[in-house]
Amino acid sequence: MSAGQHISFRAKDEVDLDAEVDFVVVGSGAGGATAAVTLARGGARVALVEAGAWRDPEDYPWSVYGGMRDLMEEWGAQVTRSRALWPVVQARTMGGTTVVNSAICVRTPEDVFDRWRREHGVDGLRDRVLAAEDQVEREISVEEVPQPARGRSNLLAKTGGDRLGWSDSHYMRRYTKGCEGAGQCLQGCRGGKKQSLNLNYIPEAMALGGLIVSSAPVDRILSEGTRAVGVTGRFRHPATRAEGTRFRVRAKKGVVVAASATHSPVLLMRSGVESPALGKFFRSHPGTGVFGCYEDVVDMNVGATQGWASVAFRDTPGLKLETLAIPPELVASRFAGGGAELMDRLAEYRHVAMWCLAVRAESTGTVSRPLFGTTPVVRYELDGADMLRFREGMKLLARQHFAAGASAIIPGVAGMPFKLTKDEVGLLDDAPLDPRRYVAVLSHLFGGCVMGRDPRSSVVDARGRVHGWEGLVVADASVIPTNLGVNPQHTIMGLAATFAADLLGA
Amino acid sequence: MTPLVRASIVALYPRTDALPGAEDCDLDAFLDRFRRETTPLMWIGVVAGSLLFQLSPLFTVFVPLPAFLLSRGLADRHARRISGSDVYLVRQSVFLVKLAAGMVWGAHPRVRDRFALPPMPDDPGTWRTR
Repeated sequence: MSAGQHISFRAKDEVDLDAEVDFVVVGSGAGGATAAVTLARGGARVALVEAGAWRDPEDYPWSVYGGMRDLMEEWGAQVTRSRALWPVVQARTMGGTTVVNSAICVRTPEDVFDRWRREHGVDGLRDRVLAAEDQVEREISVEEVPQPARGRSNLLAKTGGDRLGWSDSHYMRRYTKGCEGAGQCLQGCRGGKKQSLNLNYIPEAMALGGLIVSSAPVDRILSEGTRAVGVTGRFRHPATRAEGTRFRVRAKKGVVVAASATHSPVLLMRSGVESPALGKFFRSHPGTGVFGCYEDVVDMNVGATQGWASVAFRDTPGLKLETLAIPPELVASRFAGGGAELMDRLAEYRHVAMWCLAVRAESTGTVSRPLFGTTPVVRYELDGADMLRFREGMKLLARQHFAAGASAIIPGVAGMPFKLTKDEVGLLDDAPLDPRRYVAVLSHLFGGCVMGRDPRSSVVDARGRVHGWEGLVVADASVIPTNLGVNPQHTIMGLAATFAADLLGA
Repeated sequence: MTPLVRASIVALYPRTDALPGAEDCDLDAFLDRFRRETTPLMWIGVVAGSLLFQLSPLFTVFVPLPAFLLSRGLADRHARRISGSDVYLVRQSVFLVKLAAGMVWGAHPRVRDRFALPPMPDDPGTWRTR
């Protein structure tokens, strides 16, 4: 097969792009890139269409500002529409969120497959998804955070977890190759150590004859009746956001939608897919951070951005705990206060470490089309039970910080003291359960096109095929019908590889 | 509107003995770039938050003046109180201004030097074109 091609932004006065392939994949994140390379390896001619630009490590920004501008959806300012405006964190770049996440690799837990089978009639995936996850691990390199890259914050977290006797307290396994602990995961790894999919699967798909189209947000799926036959949209300039010429990519065999848990449902809605479950059952793992204040210098931004985790509390109360180092740019707004008081607090930057909780939330929300613009509308709020989990997570992190030797913690709860000492930490027992009191983010997103056997309560079947349609498959986090309680990239890649293999055999 | 945004940012991140303030961090150049490069919605949000900051001293320090006319001490007190307001939307509006300003303040070489972090080169702003 001949080498492939990359087509970037085309201005309005240039000719439209018209192409025909076997399969077109919308979105180049964990799901889309994995599906594309699987299809290409199977001998299919594939087009991968990505809304964002294709940036290589030398193009990555250094600063948070550049990261927001160049890599994030809507400058990272997309928020939930509910009582609390919590950011919905997603990337918009070739490789999707794999470029800006911390590359955390966790295999799909067994109970997740059990629950899918029990509650959604999704069977037969376990062995194939786990085999695909094995293959991913072999192909793109997975390693435990190397000792020299751990950094003091991660070491302290391990110490705290160990001293508390937690059943799980470990250095993460991540998709990296010789991580140097540059602390730049969130802006993309300029050293090329993080194995985001723009560095491996996407170039491979291109080398196998694939057509890669970047800066090309898809407006809608082309169809003939209920058969998907391609996609269309307009190029959008990566810097000016100016509209470019139109593109149409026709697909002889099928369309794979992997545009994310927010964009995939909306793309299906815009394309005439009707399902009572479309846009429903949106879920996430909302999280927040608790800072510990240490006598000695921590320099949390030195070392792996995220290097330690615990799943000891995944079942009860339903949490994952992790370290997360953030640079001064983000601590500046994360610390409460303003004026000289804020500056005094920021002066302690070198002595603080932030560790995070992610709630294995059972609350569900919706994704819908916006009245104006293209940004999906996400309505989502934690219910009382999940807010209790949230509070429990903060208490656990506080205990962990004190066990590691912190002199105080910074809970970051509006209305509570800025710092709590060990003697005062009991105040967290009565911390408010109002989500508006917290600075939190939705980082792991699921649902919106959930899979299941019943078309009344699901959008796709157990092979990712949209109910009632031909040649239309969804292969991203939007098909996941439950929370996972762990980082989702591995599960998304396992599912996408499985669905793509099914397409080849169809 | 940019001068109002600037004044709000300077009040939120003032120069202290320990740290440079936002005014020491090439703020004007940043605001010019930010206004051009960010999304309209983000810029509107930052302007709205700044307007709120400037027009609300009556409710925080009980002085019927815009924030940019307050003494340093009163401006500090106003910044502290409004950023910790009990009203969620007020708090969030000021948070948005802090978020934008934090990106210039925290990335500046003078601030990074205080935190023993090396200066950062300019963001390339490039991408693959072929």
